[in-house]
Amino acid sequence: METLQKTGRKPITRAVPASAMGRIRPVETLQKLRRMPILLSVPAFAILLAVYAIPIVELFLASLDAPSFSLAHYREFFAEGANITVLFQTIEISAVATAICVIIGYPTAYLIVAASKRLRIVLIVLVFIPWLTNGLVRTYAWVVILGDRGLLNNLMLELGLISSPLHLVYNRMAVYIGMVHIMLPAMILPLLSVMLGIDKSLVAAARSMGARPFVAFWRVFLPLSLPGLRSGLLLTFIFCLGFYITPATLGGLNDAMLSTFIVSQVEAVGSVASVAVPSFVLLAVTIVVLSVLGLDLSGNQGREGQPAQTSFRPSWLLSFGPLIRYLSELAASHRAKRWTAERYKAGGNSRRSAKTVGGVWVALAIFFLLFPGFVVMIMSFSDKPYLEFPPSGLSLQWYRSFFNDPSWIGAFWTSVQLGIWVAVLSTIVGTLAAYGLSRTHPRVRRPLTMVILSPITFPSIVVGVSVYQGLFALGMIGTQSGIILAHTVGAIGSVFIIVSATLANFDRRLEQAAQSMRAGPLRTFMRVTLPLIRPGVIGGAVFAFLHSFDELVITSLISVFSIRTLPLKMWEDIRNQIDPTIAAVGSMLTVLPVLWLIVLYVGWWRSRLTAQSGVSVPTT
Amino acid sequence: MKNSSVSAQIEFKNVTKMYGTVAAVENLSLSVRRGEFLTILGPSGSGKTTALMLLAGFVAPTEGDILIAGKSVAAVPSYRRDQGIVFQSYALFPHLTVRRNLEFPLEMRGINAAERAARVDRMLERVHLKDYGGRMPSQLSGGQQQRVALARALIADPPVLLLDEPLGALDRNLREQMQGELKSLHREFGKTAICVTHDQEEALTLSDRIVVMRAGQIEQVDTPEALYDRPSTRFVANFLGEANILDNPGFKIESDAAQPAGTVAMIRPERICVAAPAAPKRADGNQRQSVTGTVEDMIYAGSLRKYHVRVGSSMLIVREHVASEQRTFRRGDEVRLEWLRSDIRFVIA
Ligand SMILES: Nc1ncnc2c1ncn2[C@@H]1O[C@H](COP(=O)(O)OP(=O)(O)OP(=O)(O)O)[C@@H](O)[C@H]1O
Ligand SMILES: [Mg+2]
Repeated sequence: METLQKTGRKPITRAVPASAMGRIRPVETLQKLRRMPILLSVPAFAILLAVYAIPIVELFLASLDAPSFSLAHYREFFAEGANITVLFQTIEISAVATAICVIIGYPTAYLIVAASKRLRIVLIVLVFIPWLTNGLVRTYAWVVILGDRGLLNNLMLELGLISSPLHLVYNRMAVYIGMVHIMLPAMILPLLSVMLGIDKSLVAAARSMGARPFVAFWRVFLPLSLPGLRSGLLLTFIFCLGFYITPATLGGLNDAMLSTFIVSQVEAVGSVASVAVPSFVLLAVTIVVLSVLGLDLSGNQGREGQPAQTSFRPSWLLSFGPLIRYLSELAASHRAKRWTAERYKAGGNSRRSAKTVGGVWVALAIFFLLFPGFVVMIMSFSDKPYLEFPPSGLSLQWYRSFFNDPSWIGAFWTSVQLGIWVAVLSTIVGTLAAYGLSRTHPRVRRPLTMVILSPITFPSIVVGVSVYQGLFALGMIGTQSGIILAHTVGAIGSVFIIVSATLANFDRRLEQAAQSMRAGPLRTFMRVTLPLIRPGVIGGAVFAFLHSFDELVITSLISVFSIRTLPLKMWEDIRNQIDPTIAAVGSMLTVLPVLWLIVLYVGWWRSRLTAQSGVSVPTT
Repeated sequence: MKNSSVSAQIEFKNVTKMYGTVAAVENLSLSVRRGEFLTILGPSGSGKTTALMLLAGFVAPTEGDILIAGKSVAAVPSYRRDQGIVFQSYALFPHLTVRRNLEFPLEMRGINAAERAARVDRMLERVHLKDYGGRMPSQLSGGQQQRVALARALIADPPVLLLDEPLGALDRNLREQMQGELKSLHREFGKTAICVTHDQEEALTLSDRIVVMRAGQIEQVDTPEALYDRPSTRFVANFLGEANILDNPGFKIESDAAQPAGTVAMIRPERICVAAPAAPKRADGNQRQSVTGTVEDMIYAGSLRKYHVRVGSSMLIVREHVASEQRTFRRGDEVRLEWLRSDIRFVIA
C-alpha cells in the first residue's frame, strides 16, 4: 500500500527565516505562518473553545461545586437507585448492540474484501448508502416494519401465523434492532478500511507453509485486522452510549438510556449540576472505554509504519483514512501495484458450500441494511392516513402534503441553509487546521487533534449540553448563527479527519518543487497543494453538510422551538404520529445518499482520472 | 535577482545543521565554481540531502552561512533563490500535464503565455519529448519523467541546478543513457550543477569535482581522477572503487616514498599483475615488487576476471582484463603477483 512509503520518510521541510529584505506586509504575515503553521488552526480552535471546550470545563467545575469543590452532586446522583439502573442499562444496551454489530459485521467485512473487485465496490457502496442516510428516517423505518399494523404483523396475520398483532415495537428488542441497523456500517467501514490494506499474499504464504485455511485466518488475517476491529468497536460502542433518538422512538419506558435522562433534566430546567452530573458520568464511561480499548492490542501497527499507539488518542477515528484513500484510488486501479495482490484473495480457493454460505450471509446483511429504506419508500405512496404496510392503495398525497405544507418546506430550506453555512465554515476552518497541524511537531499535533476530534468522539448529548452552555453565555440560544456554530463544532472534526487522511498521502516535495520554481507560500498552496487535496476537501464538505443536515440531538437542545430544522420537524411528527408525510420525506432522504455518492464520485474519481496517480508520483 | 546569472558561485561557510543532538551536516566549508558540475557522494545518512536542502533553502543552517553569488542567503526564502531542482522522485505535479509542468516556473516569473509556449516547445524538443506535452506525468515511463524533471528545472534558466539522486530510480541501462544526456545538457546550458548521489560510478562519470561526505563532514574534495588515484583516507579508498588495504600484509612493502606516520599502504586491484610463478620477469622488473601467493577464488565477470589471492596473512584482490593469450588460474594454483612500486599509495588509516 501507498501508506508504507509515506509515513516512514523523515520530514525535510524546515522553517526558513523570514525575509529581512523589507517586503510588503502580507508577505511578512505569510512567512510568519510558514514558520508557525500551527497558527492556521487558530480559527478552528477559536470556535471550538468558545462554543464547546470552555463551556465543558465550566460545566465540569459546576458539577464539582467549584470553587468549594465537593462531590456532593455526584453522591446525590449515585444515591438514587433509578439513576444507577439507567447507567447500567445504558452500558448494557450499548454492549449488546456492539456485540451484535461485531458478530454480523466482521464476517460481512471479511466476505466483502474477499469478493471480486467489481462486486466489492458495489458492496462497499451499498454499505455506504445507509451510513449516509438520515438516522431518524432509518429509525422511523423500523416503526413501519415492526408497528402493530406494520409490515411484519400484517404479513404474519396474512399468513395466519398469528391471530392478533404482536407488540414488536416499544421494547428492548426493537431498540437493539434499530441501534444495530444504524451502527452496523460504522462497524463494517473501519473493518473494511483495515482489511483492504492487508496483504493477501500473507495469508497465501501461511497457507503455503501448511496452515489450514482457518489457521491461516486465525494466525495471520485476524491479528492484522484487529486495528479495524478496535476502531469499529470504539466507534459503535461510544456512539451507542450517547444514543437518544432510537431508544426514545423504538423503546419502552424501561429502555431509557442516560441521554434520555439528561434530555429530561434539560427540559425540566433543573440546576446546572443536575444536567452536568449525568453528562460527566456518561463522559467518564466513554473515557474509560476509550482508554481501555484505545490501548494498542495488536503490538505494533507496523503495517502503517506508525509508532505504536498510546492509550487515549482518538486516532482510531483516523482509521477511515485508508478506506478514503482506497475509494479514491479506484480510478487508478488499472496500474496501482496493490492489485497484484488480487490473485491471493482471502477467499481464494474455498469450497463451493463455503462460498454459498458466505454469499447468503452478505446478502442478508445488505438486505438488513437496505430493506428498511425500501419499506419507507413504498410506505410513502400509501393512500391511508395511518401506518399500514403494505399500503392497500397507492397515491402521491403525502408528497403533495409535503410540498404544500409551508412548515415542511420551511424546515427543509432551513436545514439546507444551515447545512451550506456549516459546510462552508467548517470546510475552510477544518482544512486550515488539518493543513497547519500536519506541519506541526507530533508532540503538539496529537493533543490538539484530540481536542478537534472530541466533539465527534464524545457522546453527542454531552457535546450538546456543553454547546448549550456555550451558546447561552454568548446569547445565541435559539438563533440561526447559534445552530451553525453548534453544528460546526462537530463538522470541523469530519473535515479534519478526511483532509488529514488526504494530506498524509501528500508528497511534500511537490511543494518544495513549486517553491524552487519561485512560487511563494500562497501560490504553492493554491496551485499545488489545494488541487491535490481537493478530493479530501470536497469529501469533508459533503460530510460537514450531512453532519448538519442530519443533526438532531444538539439542535433540539439549542433551538428552543424558535428554529425548526427538517430533522426536528420529523422528530415531532414521529412522536406525535401525525401522518405518513414523514414517509414521503424519509423516502426522499433515502434517495439523497445516492446524490451524495454522485457528488463524491465527481469529486474523487473524476479528479483521479485527470490526475491519475493523485498525490504520489509512481516510480516505475 | 537578475544579477545572479553573472556570478553563480556558491559558498558554504562552516555550515552546521543539527537535528536534536545529531549533526546531519557538521562544519561544512565548500566553494563551488561557476559552471562546475560538482557531485556530493557518500553513504546513506552522511548528510548529502541535508547539504542540498540547506542550499535550496528548505532547511535553515544551525550555524554558519551560505553565500550565493557572494551574498548571504540566510534571509532569502527558498522561493526567491534562483535554483532549478530535480528531486529524487522528480516531484512532477501529478495534476498538471507535462506542458503545464514546464510552464509552471515560467508562469511564476511572470512570463507571458506566448513566450511560455515557445520556450516549452523548444525545451520539449531538446529533451526528445516533443509529442508528450499533453500527457500526465503518470503516463510517462521513468526515463521520460526524469527528462521532464530536468527540463522543468532548466527551463527558467536558473544559474544553479540542484539534483538529488536524479537517476536513482532508473534501471542500469537507462541510467547510463541518462548520464550522457545529463552531461550534454550541463555542457550545453553551462549551469553550476550540484548533484547528490550514492552511485560512485555516476559520480566518476559526471563530475568535474567530487565531494566525499562521511557522517556529516567532508572527507575529501577532488577531481574524479585524483580522488580515485590518490584517495587521502582509507574511507575514500574503499568507498570509491575497490582497494587492497595492506594493514598487516605479512610481507614487506617496498615503495619509492617513505610511509608517513598514521597511514597504511593501499593498492588498486587493477594495478596488480598476476602470472605463473615460473613466468619470465618483465623488463621493468626492477621497478616492481613481486610476491607469491595461492589463488583462493576466481570470479569471472565478462570482460574481467577477479582473483582472490592469499599472500602471507593477507588476501589481495586482483583484477585483470580478459585477453586472448592469457592463462586462467584456478583455485589452489600458485601465482606470482607484481606491481609497480609507484602504484603504492598511503592513505590515512
Ligand atoms: N528532518 C530530520 N530530522 C531529524 N534527523 C534528520 C532529518 N533529516 C535528516 N536527518 C538525519 O541527518 C542525517 C543525514 O541525513 P541526510 O538525509 O542528509 O542523509 P543522506 O546522505 O541524504 O542519506 P541517503 O543517502 O540515505 O539519502 C541522518 O542521520 C538523518 O537521520
Ligand atoms: Mg538523501
